[in-house]
Amino acid sequence: MASVSIATVVVNVLLLGALYSLVAIGFTLIFGVGGVLNLAHGASITLGAYSAYYAVQFGLGIYAGAVVALLVPAVFNLALYKGIIKPVGDNPVAVLILTLVMTLVVEQVFLAIAGAQAVTIPGFVTGQVPVLGGIEANRVLGFVLSWVLIGGLFFFVNRTKTGQAVLATSMSKKGSALVGIDPDRTYTYTWLIAGALAGVAGLFLGSFQSLTPLMGRNPLLLSFAIVVLGGLGSIRGSVIGAYFISLLDQLTIFYVSERLAGLAGLVVLVVVLLVRPQGLFGRELAEG
Amino acid sequence: MSGETESTMTEEPSEDGSLFELVDPREMGTLQRLGVLALLGLAVFAPIGVILGRELMVLQLTGAFIFATYVMTWDVVSGYTGEISFGHALFFGVGAYTSAIVNTQLELSLFVTIPIGVVAATLAGLLIGFPSLRLHGPYFSLITLVTPIILISMLVFASDITGGASGLTGIDVLTRDTIISYYLAFGVFAFALVLFLAITRSDAGTVLTAIREDEMAVQAAGLNPQKFKLFAFVLSGAVGGLAGAIALHTRVLGGVASPSDLLALVLSIEVIVAAILGGMGTITGAAIGGLMFYMTVRFLRALPDFGVPLLETLTGAVADSYFLIFALLALVFLFYVPEGALPRIAQYVKGRQSRAAVAADGGRTPAESAIAKFVSQLRELVGLEGGDER
Repeated sequence: MASVSIATVVVNVLLLGALYSLVAIGFTLIFGVGGVLNLAHGASITLGAYSAYYAVQFGLGIYAGAVVALLVPAVFNLALYKGIIKPVGDNPVAVLILTLVMTLVVEQVFLAIAGAQAVTIPGFVTGQVPVLGGIEANRVLGFVLSWVLIGGLFFFVNRTKTGQAVLATSMSKKGSALVGIDPDRTYTYTWLIAGALAGVAGLFLGSFQSLTPLMGRNPLLLSFAIVVLGGLGSIRGSVIGAYFISLLDQLTIFYVSERLAGLAGLVVLVVVLLVRPQGLFGRELAEG
Repeated sequence: MSGETESTMTEEPSEDGSLFELVDPREMGTLQRLGVLALLGLAVFAPIGVILGRELMVLQLTGAFIFATYVMTWDVVSGYTGEISFGHALFFGVGAYTSAIVNTQLELSLFVTIPIGVVAATLAGLLIGFPSLRLHGPYFSLITLVTPIILISMLVFASDITGGASGLTGIDVLTRDTIISYYLAFGVFAFALVLFLAITRSDAGTVLTAIREDEMAVQAAGLNPQKFKLFAFVLSGAVGGLAGAIALHTRVLGGVASPSDLLALVLSIEVIVAAILGGMGTITGAAIGGLMFYMTVRFLRALPDFGVPLLETLTGAVADSYFLIFALLALVFLFYVPEGALPRIAQYVKGRQSRAAVAADGGRTPAESAIAKFVSQLRELVGLEGGDER
């Protein structure tokens, strides 16, 4: 019994850690490169999941659904950046209020068209993989795909010119402009990537659990914690932070109470902010 | 602990002087006289309203007083120090819930539990105040954003004591009477208004404003900005907690404590929006902005559905379409009327720059300098050069 429960926790941590990494990487990219705290990031998760759901409803199948789940949040983020964030970019209060409003709008739209009840999307594959007492193959696929995306992102940032431009912009806007990098283009890339990654995370979260219009809230809150723990703007920190936070979260859910889901992450967030605001791998904005 | 807040309140050296100035009609301009008249009008409105059969209006105003008090408590911290709090509902929730839980668990009288709630909210002010001394800009926003959420989580966890997400019932109330509720809420509102005006018009207010404009200069002048910031937070927490507790135990919330009424993120954002509309860093603007916002929202909600499906909220989530309207309005204000409605009107009436909107830095408005401060902190953080504001 105990071994089974530990196995469950391990599987959940491995899987959710990978998905939360996807969410947190996008959040940290947008913050690290553009200095925007994007509270609409949770909406991208919801959008991704529901896009796949509707694609399946229209009889397109789950693979087409996955493509839609990637594209719709990316386009949403692009529109958000070009239409809203860019014009008010130098006013963080407006940005925070606006991104929060966008979150509420997306929630309300899905509440209105899909209703508050939970819906489900089918998995990609059926059957079990015989490790750790049997895991659904779909979960394994989600895990593998998440890591493929994370690996791809590392390759992009470290090995391609465009990725290096993104990195340079996150380090120094002036310096990168001096060597001919267009910041606006870089921001556009980061928003697109962030939206797509969140969409994929939403797709898998939706196929493991279920879809509700408010499904983006918890991952968003957790990604605050992840990003602060890993250090704002650090991709590596996000991945490590995501695993740490999902471990804590699962332990809390499993051994304390289901009702405390998400709380562990927030407590970590507050503690980290008070003890080491710069996080594990980030820059610091604190005196004393 | 409760003694400490009282001592800080009496520490204000020039409070008596400014209080006297505040109520001396000879010292006032046209606008202040209008304001005092309006206050007097509000003070006698309840019985007249009830007699005229406008009880609903009286009830709405009662809620509006509480909300306007919330907005003032936000303004005294964020409008004056430039540290923008995105979770001010924490204080209202702590004040109300503490009072409610002590009342239901220990069966103590409300005359004991409400002060306990205020003390708890004061402690919450300290708790949020301390990180604000070290954390700035986005980090501070994050910590204020998540603390109410943590509290909601805990309330849901301990739902047998707190009533969880659906709310706690069976709480004693001070009164179920419309007129008495009105006067209690009005009392809190007037008390907060006079107190905050006295403090922000005193030397302490000058220092708070200076912190918003240039914290380093305050330090260089040999003053400790941290002490003043903490003071603002503690004060804000105490008054916010009082307003929350009074709202809970009167007809405003009618003795039902629920997270969505007291702790919701939307409430925190509404408070910010109302303060921006009225005018940041002006207390009176915040008070009037709060009253207007609340009454307008009630008016909009009473309208028949515009046939927009969005209006038919299903879960009772507070995000009605009115919220979107106001959020957009707030943004328009942020760009075109950054000082807020009241200072703009005052300027228009006086035909010159109003006192509230005079800023140290070449005539920047409070909202502008608060934002400029946030931006420079953000730049330091994300390595966009130019940590200073020029």
